[in-house]
Amino acid sequence: MAAPRKLAARLLKAVVRLAPRESREWASAMLHELDFIGGDWAALFWALGSTAAIVRHAASVGLAWLKRKTREELTMDNMGKKVKGVGLGAISALMLVGCAFAVLRISGILFPGLDLEHAEWTRWLAVIVIPEAIFVAAAVILWRKKGPVAAGILTTALMVGLHVAVHLAMR
Amino acid sequence: MKLRLSPQTLLVLDAFLEQAEEWKYGYDLSRVTGLKSGTLYPILMRLAERKLLETEWETSEPGKPPRHMYRFTPEGLRIARAHVRAHADSRLGQVALGLVQVGQVQG
Repeated sequence: MAAPRKLAARLLKAVVRLAPRESREWASAMLHELDFIGGDWAALFWALGSTAAIVRHAASVGLAWLKRKTREELTMDNMGKKVKGVGLGAISALMLVGCAFAVLRISGILFPGLDLEHAEWTRWLAVIVIPEAIFVAAAVILWRKKGPVAAGILTTALMVGLHVAVHLAMR
Repeated sequence: MKLRLSPQTLLVLDAFLEQAEEWKYGYDLSRVTGLKSGTLYPILMRLAERKLLETEWETSEPGKPPRHMYRFTPEGLRIARAHVRAHADSRLGQVALGLVQVGQVQG
């Protein structure tokens, strides 16, 4: 076998070995065609062209994979941000409800004579009316720029409202 | 389906449309079209990826290496015929326009 043909065969065998899975069949096809090429130099040029084609194909496959991966990661990132936002909104809302309870308790300690802690209207005002009004106002303000946070606040508002409704119904 | 119809792709489509039902080999296509392997194979790969070409390994006789063969899928044949016809029509239109312009200049 002449040197150029030997070189061509070696080159294409290496390409078959190194090519990614998606390009391997094509590289193998190019290698097998080598036996049907008449001239030795023509065989070498065939191998060089084939190698370039496989490199380009492998690069495009790799690039497509990278694009897909990046898109997936971006989507995951967006999803993570949304979940965080909802969580932040819910935690903020719960903290507000906690603060409302604390204020009620403290007012009972600070002004025992007024009996604010046990008065029905103060409980309604401090635990339901004011927090729910704040929730709705915050959700409206945040809806456009921080939608997930607003959704978290509204969800918590709904849960607190339901809790109170159930509590009232039980009484 | 949109195909990027470079002159080289048209050459390949033409080569496949000659006896379209028959399987064709890479090197034979290269000789018929005059395209180097570095140009021909990316076109074949693209056509195969779009399911316009079907590929198969030739079941070879002992001592003879198997060869990769290519043929249009029914969809590929339909699309290739439509594209080649559209291209021929546009070329014909250009020639006719050229003749009209030449006639106007001479007249």
